[in-house]
Amino acid sequence: MNHYEVLAPELVLLGLAFALVTLELLFPQLRKDLVAYLTAASAIGVLVASAFFANRSDSFKDLIQLDNYTTFFRILFLGTAALLAIASAHLVRDKLSNAGEYYGLLLLGVIGATYMAAASELLTAYIALELLNFTLYVLVSFDRKDPRSGEAGLKYILLSAFASALLLFGISFIFGVTGTTSYAGIRHALEAGIGEYRGTLVVGLVLLLTGLGFKVAAVPFHMWTPDAYEGAPLPVTAYISIVAKAAGFALFLRLFSQAFMPVISDWRWMVALLAALTMVFGNLIALQQVNIKRLLAYSSISQVGYMLIAIAALSHDSATALLLHLGGYAITNLAAFIAIIAFYNATGGEEIRDFRGLAERHAGLAMTLTIALFSLAGMPLFAGFMTKFILFQAAAQHGLLWLSAFGVVTSMISLYYYLMVIRQMYVLKPRDGDGRLRVPLLTSAVLVVLALGIFFVGIWPTPLFRAAASATRLLF
Amino acid sequence: MVGMNAAWLLPAIPAGAFALLLLVRNFLPRKGDWVAIGAVTASFVLFFFVLHDLMTRLGPNFHGVSTGFTWLKIDNFVLRVGFFTDPIAIVMLAAVLVVSLMVHVYSTGYMHGDSRYGWFFTVLALFTAAMSTLVLADNLLLLYVAWELVGICSFLLIGFWWERQSAAEAAKKAFVTTRVGDVGLLIGVILLWKKVGTFDIQTVLHAATSGQIGHTYLTVALLFMLLGAMGKSAQFPFHVWLPDAMEGPTPVSALIHAATMVVAGIYLLARMLPAYMVITGLGTLIMVIGMITAIGAAVIACAQTDIKRIIAYSTLSNLGFMFVAMGAHALTGGMFHLLTHAFFKALLFLGAGSVIHAVETQEVGDLGGLWRKMPITMGTFVIACLANAGLPVFSGFFSKDLVLEGVMHGNTPYYVALLAWVFLSGIYTARLFMLTFFGPSRDHHRYEHAHESPPNMTLPLVVLAVLTLLAGWLALDSVGRALGFPGGVGEFVFVHEPEAYRFSFTVAFAATSAGLLGVLATMYLYWGGGPERARRFADYSPDVYALIRNKFYVDELYQAGINYGVLGLSHAVAWFDRYVVNDTGVNGTAQLTGWLGYRLKFLQNGKLPTYALAMIVGVLVMAIVALSMHS
Amino acid sequence: MIPLDQVLVFSGILFALGVYGVLTRRNAIAILMSVELMLTAVNTNFIAFGVFHRPSLAVGLVFAVFVITVAAAEVGLALAIILRIYRQRTTANVDEVDILKW
Repeated sequence: MNHYEVLAPELVLLGLAFALVTLELLFPQLRKDLVAYLTAASAIGVLVASAFFANRSDSFKDLIQLDNYTTFFRILFLGTAALLAIASAHLVRDKLSNAGEYYGLLLLGVIGATYMAAASELLTAYIALELLNFTLYVLVSFDRKDPRSGEAGLKYILLSAFASALLLFGISFIFGVTGTTSYAGIRHALEAGIGEYRGTLVVGLVLLLTGLGFKVAAVPFHMWTPDAYEGAPLPVTAYISIVAKAAGFALFLRLFSQAFMPVISDWRWMVALLAALTMVFGNLIALQQVNIKRLLAYSSISQVGYMLIAIAALSHDSATALLLHLGGYAITNLAAFIAIIAFYNATGGEEIRDFRGLAERHAGLAMTLTIALFSLAGMPLFAGFMTKFILFQAAAQHGLLWLSAFGVVTSMISLYYYLMVIRQMYVLKPRDGDGRLRVPLLTSAVLVVLALGIFFVGIWPTPLFRAAASATRLLF
Repeated sequence: MVGMNAAWLLPAIPAGAFALLLLVRNFLPRKGDWVAIGAVTASFVLFFFVLHDLMTRLGPNFHGVSTGFTWLKIDNFVLRVGFFTDPIAIVMLAAVLVVSLMVHVYSTGYMHGDSRYGWFFTVLALFTAAMSTLVLADNLLLLYVAWELVGICSFLLIGFWWERQSAAEAAKKAFVTTRVGDVGLLIGVILLWKKVGTFDIQTVLHAATSGQIGHTYLTVALLFMLLGAMGKSAQFPFHVWLPDAMEGPTPVSALIHAATMVVAGIYLLARMLPAYMVITGLGTLIMVIGMITAIGAAVIACAQTDIKRIIAYSTLSNLGFMFVAMGAHALTGGMFHLLTHAFFKALLFLGAGSVIHAVETQEVGDLGGLWRKMPITMGTFVIACLANAGLPVFSGFFSKDLVLEGVMHGNTPYYVALLAWVFLSGIYTARLFMLTFFGPSRDHHRYEHAHESPPNMTLPLVVLAVLTLLAGWLALDSVGRALGFPGGVGEFVFVHEPEAYRFSFTVAFAATSAGLLGVLATMYLYWGGGPERARRFADYSPDVYALIRNKFYVDELYQAGINYGVLGLSHAVAWFDRYVVNDTGVNGTAQLTGWLGYRLKFLQNGKLPTYALAMIVGVLVMAIVALSMHS
Repeated sequence: MIPLDQVLVFSGILFALGVYGVLTRRNAIAILMSVELMLTAVNTNFIAFGVFHRPSLAVGLVFAVFVITVAAAEVGLALAIILRIYRQRTTANVDEVDILKW
């Protein structure tokens, strides 16, 4: 099955990435934000093209699947990359160098992420994972002038290499026990029975979970996250929080639902434990934060906790709920980060106290950020409530009621630290000397669309729900 | 042809007006009041098309037409936005739309010059939309959502002049009191959903009447729903919010607290009546509650001095009366009274508003002799009063008669009590119009300034007065048939079988006499000498008078109950609350959480080896536990 | 032929040494070397499993080759970042690189 058209969108992206890098080499005087818009446009172009792949089922040598699951994530990643490219335009132009590489790396990361979602074989999945990782290593340390950026990059790469090694060790054991690295093959081997090697398999699973847990920032493998989020340039932080996380979960979900279902009793409690720990720690430490990037880091850690519940309660319903939640989470995080980026571009502030009185300085920005934060907190009418509700419901139906209860309680705690920011914006008056802010028109337009998107998912989730359901149907 | 399938437009148009006004009212001429009025008028016109369509389809097997769409479907949890049109809904809608339209027009005069003029119409539009949704809702969940929404509108409008402390307090009181009932409604709805598997009203009713729901279970669910009805319709002991709700502008009192929202509870009972009829004993309970409310409120009304309060207690009293009707399963009478009451009570309020607008006081003690100065107001007011008293020709007579007929069969003690109620109604009604319009003026200064209201206020009064005069005749079969209905109101709205209007001379005579007696006696008391003669009457037994004047001290009882009854218990509870619940539980939890977060955050010490160590610890713990689980 | 168990013990020891190195060494490059040691252990595993399986699996060897390649690229990147830190702060000691904390 040499169906190269399965790979087509990513090959196009590859070409585009190199084109962007070359573009800057050849025309160094080119306006940097044009490069950004070019990136965004091409990403959207590929997005539209990949939509035509919907409802097709194909594979490239059984290594990479083309199905609704892949298409779902492709659209998610490309959309995120496009919007983040637009949002990065001014920041990259003013504060960073080597813009062409920046945008090229964005697109390369998307390739890695997509293949993480599409891989149906462990080696492919690993390569894709490392591809994404590499682009992130560079992107996180992209800011030469900020010492935090380099430090974040250092910690990230060393810990990530460490985690990859653990992951690989685990994969090697699974390979050893089952004799194959393809997901379907592993499942067959497990169903046929592995008898005395159960212990080895379990150790392999533990290591596998460690590696994946690192990627998605589950506690106790999360410690790289706050530093990486705070040190990286803002758009990169957004990129990690959405693309890396979603890709991690995509891989997680496909791997475990297709390969390890026969031994679910072995790993279910592990994932549940991770979920509980993550929810608790993420929310508790978030309460203490003063930097908004770090706050969002811990916030996304706690979101991971909720998402892990869906994996612990693995079933078609919970998988659908997970994808739905990822979709809503992507829109919400994009809204929050782009608002913060706009704020940073205008004022250079990234501490929570810098947001003082934002409601008076720029009502639209404050409103969008508030909407995004309320959605993250899970208030009704917003996307976060609807997706969390469906998630908890799916989990409760599969016997993990206690985990859902955890989720609800920790969600309540989370409201506090989101409100901390909202309070700064609305209740406190701006400091003397803080005037009105200007936000570029394109950014404002993007923010409006995203805010509407949050409400759309929150009030009428059916279209997204149906997309998620069709995406996960093939897994079960 | 536009018909019942377009019924969804009836709430949708005002909802659209609301959205529009919410966003751009400050940019529209006259702050967009014409948008709201236009929307209500459009709905009103559409109503006739829907009515026409309904009448062409009336027949023995016709139960109603449902239209709508599915909003959310997750596995077996389905949320539907659906509208069900049937005779019960039509009657209520008539009340809602007519009164709403009249109030909209009236408000252009009454609220003229108010700083939040535009906002007033915005909330009015929202209310009309929400109320229409409530009436037309085909499933209990949508009904509940609309129920809450009208509660919010009521809150916003009672506290419209929130700069006044008393208004803000009244709004809160209304919201909290009805909230208690609303919780009951929600529990009842959920209970029914769990048993029947759907929110659809017709399905639930069918399940109830065919015995699919266990007797006890059904009773519990219906009792909870009754709580909701009692809260919204201000039945004893939830009645305390309604008189205070008079803090709102008078058009609001007319629309929400007389004609539409307060009857939502009665409407709910009417909708669910087939289910209520399954459980014997529930009817009696409802009748008792209604009777207490009706008579208690009527007595209190006799001793009030604020013109709006008198009318408020009159409303309370009539709500109790309608409750009795529902308890006696007299659906026709109850719904018909709901309709006629809407007209004449709204008229009373708007007339009172006209008076207040002219003389800027609400104390009856300051009024008098206004008939010379405000003839139109007086004329329409008196018509409304006579209807309220139930005197023949006026619509109140027909509707009360219908209810009395329904109650009389097998419920003789209630019938007698209701006659007493009619008598009392006569008294307070006559007292009201005597003190307001007749006799010597008691405050010359105000009297000099009094003037008739502008046409945009008097026109609605006239329209409502005409309706009050004419609507009653709809009870008669011949009138109904002439208009195209299959008969009188009894042939249109019924539970199991059409009920032709039976005119029983005894009942009619008894009721009319009671009413006339009350009216004439009071007129005598107040004629000429004004309130002096009444005062002597009151001084005859000052304690009783004080008791009545102070509304039987129910509010004070609540307050005292809260103060003393709870206080006695409350010392222990307060200590528990402060030290255990608050300091340890609430503050403590918050502090613990914060402290935990604080300590935990230092785990993240910035040093890479620590991070790696954390990971390894995680691995080891999981591995050890996993392996020990297996060996 | 060396029995599979012994090969696995060998790779296990290697891996443990690598983990120990990551946890205790302070120099960033030393940590990097320890990770490489862990990856060597991984490769040993893959090759061993691939060879000892009946029939022998090529995928084990292929995996090892890929891991070697990725590891090399990783080292390149890591060294670049370590160099950047060194230029900024004249230290490669990970304990001293802790601006980002809490």
